Amino acid sequence: MLTVALQQGINGIVFGSLYVLVALGLTLIYGVLVQINFAHADIVTIGAFAAYFFTFAFGGNYLVSIGIALMVGGALGWLVNAAIFAPLRERGSELLPLIATIGVSILLQNAMLLWFGPIPYAFDSPYSDKVIRLWGGTFITWQNLIIILVSTLTIALLYAFMKFTMMGKALRAVAQDRETAGLMGINPNQLIMLTFVIASALAGMGGAMLGPVLVLTPFAGTSVIVKAFAIVIIGGFGNVEGTIIAGLTVGLIESFATQLVNPGLTDIVVFTLLLLMLALRPTGLIAEKREENV
Amino acid sequence: MSSEGGLHPDPSGGRRWWLFVAVVAVAVLPFVFQDSYWRTNLIVCAINVMLAIGLDFILGYAGQLNLGHSAFYGIGAYASTLLIINLGVPFWIAFVVGMVLSGIAGMALSLFAVRLRGHYLAIASLGFAVIVHQVLLNWISLTQGPLGIYAIKPPPDIALPGLPSISFSNSANMFYLIAGFALLFYFLLDQLVRSPIGETLAAIREDEVSASSFGINCTAWKVFAFGIGSALAGAAGAFYASFVGTLVPDAFIITESFTILAMVIVGGMGTLIGPVWGAILLTVLPELLRGFGDLRLVVYGAALTLVVLFVPGGLVQAVRIARARLGRLRGASDAGAHQ
Repeated sequence: MLTVALQQGINGIVFGSLYVLVALGLTLIYGVLVQINFAHADIVTIGAFAAYFFTFAFGGNYLVSIGIALMVGGALGWLVNAAIFAPLRERGSELLPLIATIGVSILLQNAMLLWFGPIPYAFDSPYSDKVIRLWGGTFITWQNLIIILVSTLTIALLYAFMKFTMMGKALRAVAQDRETAGLMGINPNQLIMLTFVIASALAGMGGAMLGPVLVLTPFAGTSVIVKAFAIVIIGGFGNVEGTIIAGLTVGLIESFATQLVNPGLTDIVVFTLLLLMLALRPTGLIAEKREENV
Repeated sequence: MSSEGGLHPDPSGGRRWWLFVAVVAVAVLPFVFQDSYWRTNLIVCAINVMLAIGLDFILGYAGQLNLGHSAFYGIGAYASTLLIINLGVPFWIAFVVGMVLSGIAGMALSLFAVRLRGHYLAIASLGFAVIVHQVLLNWISLTQGPLGIYAIKPPPDIALPGLPSISFSNSANMFYLIAGFALLFYFLLDQLVRSPIGETLAAIREDEVSASSFGINCTAWKVFAFGIGSALAGAAGAFYASFVGTLVPDAFIITESFTILAMVIVGGMGTLIGPVWGAILLTVLPELLRGFGDLRLVVYGAALTLVVLFVPGGLVQAVRIARARLGRLRGASDAGAHQ
């Protein structure tokens, strides 16, 4: 029993840390722009496909492919901001950018469907079947260990960047008050662009690591993104620490719900939690001052 | 027609005229399209129109971004069908119950999310749609899960005294029935948005704080709008089930919400006629592009994105701009002729 619980705990942390990577991007963008990017889902999917083709079509190393996916994601983030968010920013509408990115998402999904077809790709990472035995009969695959290590390292780097570098501080300044930050000589447009690149790089990277543990189809990102939305809300929009806690929590809930009840019910559990959270504590786990939407 | 009214020109005469045109168009269409493929598309158009005007009432008039319209569509479809199949309830009673249940679900979601606006409501409604879809998938004893429900009968024949009975296994009659309801709903919504209720909703949409300072109960009106819009989706669902004859949960996945949203936006949100054209265009256009395979679905995404970027008022705005340009052109050529 304990073994099962430990094993599910490990699996939960693996998925949780991937969710954190994806959700952090959403929350960063929301932080500086107060906007939601639906196409984030497809950046995850494209990241996964980029890693897949790099590894299998070109015979590249899987670990390198994570870096490739990171760059592809970053480039896409730049594109989404330049093509959608920047032109719509002057209009000052709250919902138009969100709706436009739903359009981008439909466009990208079906373009991928056109190119890659509906049949799931078997993305076998070379590390998926190498197992490390742990205490009490539990184990972890190298793939999952890579996921946890890379995610943790990335999140730590991001955290340090936000806390200690000038640019990170400027970013937080823009998130707090864009206009005043502009008066302090910070160029908000550049920082918004930077945020999109970082956020989408995280998504692409998350995709590369999700590919081997998920069913890789053009729609793979969507199932992840709806969970990421739930995580971002549970953690509090724009709140990095809350997002990390919420992401790991959702990963664990999912993992234990799969074990204890019906796997089909995990989404119901997660989204009921989301709705409860919205009803009881709309500002998220860690309350923040941002309340204009609540 | 006055040029600046654009959509809804002079109040009574013009609108009555357009209603007449619409009724004639509905009457004639099945004669124009005789083969079953295009008849099917006609019926799908009518269902989509119903969905789009319902969503537009919530989004365009009450200003609430509802990403869960597919859920209300599904609730109406499953509730009415299960009542008919499991309890032997007559179709029209099941239809009304399905509609009411969808409306109640919409009101419940709205009431629940009443403190939330903008993005938070969008995500809450999205979450609701995911839950409804998962329940339909997993409550197998009730919904048969992914296997689906088969052999759902069309609405019963209507036998009027002295006339041959009307059978709805005939696709033309089915189209008349659904399009007739779509017209009726359009007419009722049109009356509603022109009444003081429409102005109240506009006031809430533009500025909730000052609206409530005028003594408007914003919560009640938002819940009301959500209820009406989702009840229409419920009606569309009941018709969908009786028309298609099979129900599977995947007909009501969240992407379906996005599709309906695209119809509203491409047509022109905040007008009633816009979503009608949006629904027709985005139903017919992909069919015309069927030869291009999956490319046709790319059209949805491209249309939605481009419209938001370049003509956020949708087709309605595009027509208005074109008309203004034409007017200016005509004015210029008149001036030229006079010289």
